[in-house]
Amino acid sequence: MAADLDYPMPPPQLSKGRPASMPVPVQRPLTGAIPMSVQAPPHTGQLAAVAPRSGSTPVLWPTVAVQGLRMFYRTPSTDTSSGRRAKLRRTVLNALGQEPKVTVRALTDISFVANSGEQIGIVGQNGSGKSTLLRIIAGLEKPTKGQVLAESTPVLIGVNAALVPDLPGEENVRLGCLAMGLSPAEAQAAIPDVIELAGLGKSIYLPMRTYSSGMAARLRFAIATAARPHILLIDEALATGDAAFKERSEVRMERLRKEAGTVFLVSHAAQTIEESCTRAIWLHHGRLVLDGEAQDVAVRYRKWAWAHAKDKPDDAKRILEEAFAERRETEVRFDTPEPAKGPVRERHARPRGRDAKQAKTRAARIAALQTEAGDL
Amino acid sequence: MSSGPETGSYTALFDASPTTTKLVTLGNLSRVGARPPLGQYVRLLWARRHFLWADARAKVTSGTRQSLLGQAWLVLDPLINGAVYFVVFGLLMKGGRGIENFIGYLLIGVFLFQFTTASINGGARSVQTGKNLIRAFTFPRAALPISVVLRNLLNLGPTLVTLAALIYFIAPVEEYTWRLALVPAALALQVMFTTGLALLVARWAAALPDVANLIRMSMRIWLYASAVFFSFDTLLEDRPDIQRVLETNPMFIVLDIVRDCVLYATTPDPMRWVWLGGWAVGMLLIGFITFWQAEESYGR
Repeated sequence: MAADLDYPMPPPQLSKGRPASMPVPVQRPLTGAIPMSVQAPPHTGQLAAVAPRSGSTPVLWPTVAVQGLRMFYRTPSTDTSSGRRAKLRRTVLNALGQEPKVTVRALTDISFVANSGEQIGIVGQNGSGKSTLLRIIAGLEKPTKGQVLAESTPVLIGVNAALVPDLPGEENVRLGCLAMGLSPAEAQAAIPDVIELAGLGKSIYLPMRTYSSGMAARLRFAIATAARPHILLIDEALATGDAAFKERSEVRMERLRKEAGTVFLVSHAAQTIEESCTRAIWLHHGRLVLDGEAQDVAVRYRKWAWAHAKDKPDDAKRILEEAFAERRETEVRFDTPEPAKGPVRERHARPRGRDAKQAKTRAARIAALQTEAGDL
Repeated sequence: MSSGPETGSYTALFDASPTTTKLVTLGNLSRVGARPPLGQYVRLLWARRHFLWADARAKVTSGTRQSLLGQAWLVLDPLINGAVYFVVFGLLMKGGRGIENFIGYLLIGVFLFQFTTASINGGARSVQTGKNLIRAFTFPRAALPISVVLRNLLNLGPTLVTLAALIYFIAPVEEYTWRLALVPAALALQVMFTTGLALLVARWAAALPDVANLIRMSMRIWLYASAVFFSFDTLLEDRPDIQRVLETNPMFIVLDIVRDCVLYATTPDPMRWVWLGGWAVGMLLIGFITFWQAEESYGR
């Protein structure tokens, strides 16, 4: 079930001879994508050969590969219930004004592959590692073990993007756009759009420190959408703001999702995931419970959450164990690509040299025509 | 259903194993958050120059926005500073023993050293204070300490204007020569050196926050070792060996060159330029590469 998803099976003769000689070239220097770019790289075509079963999407290729992810934190704890032997150490640490540290296992051995065109919901109770997973995928935190590979830099739309509190909202929009790597011209072009989405009225000219938390969150969300990322990570962004903003942001989200290659969505509302995702991942205490079709996973999670909330631990445990039993563990391996044969010019590749010049003049001509049309 | 060696991603099921192996072709994928090669890192940093500039300018203006006089403080601050030193050292202590035009000597030392102090202290804390930015955006982290230096450089502008005015009115120089044109070169080398050192200490302080405290103290010691308030020539007359060691101190060289050019109409010793150039280029390279090496560890 879950594991099959939309991936076609390899022909039997291939999988028979393969397992023993599977290449495992993991630590090879990785090249290909433009680092720190949020836009999709020019696609090389050789990867896009998988036709999905349904036939709805033309091609599927992996955009994010998560391999054996593990995240442990060492953090101070005031819990004194553990071992006697630690007593001496605690005394020493107390003298330094420090607290004893414990290891928190935020994520344990998470592996999966996300494909272009997929919208993946991540469900789980508070503290199950959902946000940590997103932050690691976005490259904002380094995992203790394992790695994440992606086609372009994923952009996390969360509620903790930092802005300068003393600057007016308008300036912060510009700064945020530049921080995401937009050029000044692109940032200038994006500003009206961002301000409109944020919908803060005259408050956009006031310093950020005068904003309410809801207003600030709206502005951050609006800024993050300006980059039009290819891989989009959304951390409950839709939960911020009032009803009017929610409506607007949902429209924008829809547009972003359509433009994006792959979307990850963290939400407590299993219904949101059911409605807007094609696939879902259920995390429980940092472990992957189930990875499968959104409908199926979301329904199971809802049942579990209901049993958990109604204080029926036996039912909750049964649902969780069933899901665990059905889970098929994923192992991700990387294959080195065939070296390109000769200087083949890809159709979507970026033009260079003379071609680049021609493309530039062409783009300028088109832009001029468009402004002319706009003037009329 | 298609398949074959060109297949991008497929599922291979092993006999009775509950494990699914997904083979992913590396073609377009690269590790998220990976440290790019040095050349690419520099290019990425260059691509963010607009952000660096906007960020530095925003912080310079926002730092004074809450005060009544606002940006006037950018000039008032060094002006008051200079006045205090003038009163203490010029009027109360009747100048430095044996130093010609002591007020000018002192002002140049204090103002130029202040830039380096502020940049190094700020640079050491830059990863810590930029944590929110690190957790929100992907960018070459070297932008943080460099942004601090840039911010202090923007602050240095008004300071230099004040310095020039103070020297012109309070500590007049007999003649202004062509050597004034050498001052920007010395300052450029000072900025290069400071940037390199800021990057270096930023890595140390990011690994161990306690370092930032030590650096504050080291800057104090360095201040005394750079002949800001006194002259090595008079103080260490009988210890030429120590004097020779102290004269390789890059900050001393900067101050010495600028004083020679502005106050004493003397052409600075070419060896001074060689030493300073070496310090500036060497420190910038060492600092940048050291910072780049730990790129993946910042803000964790």
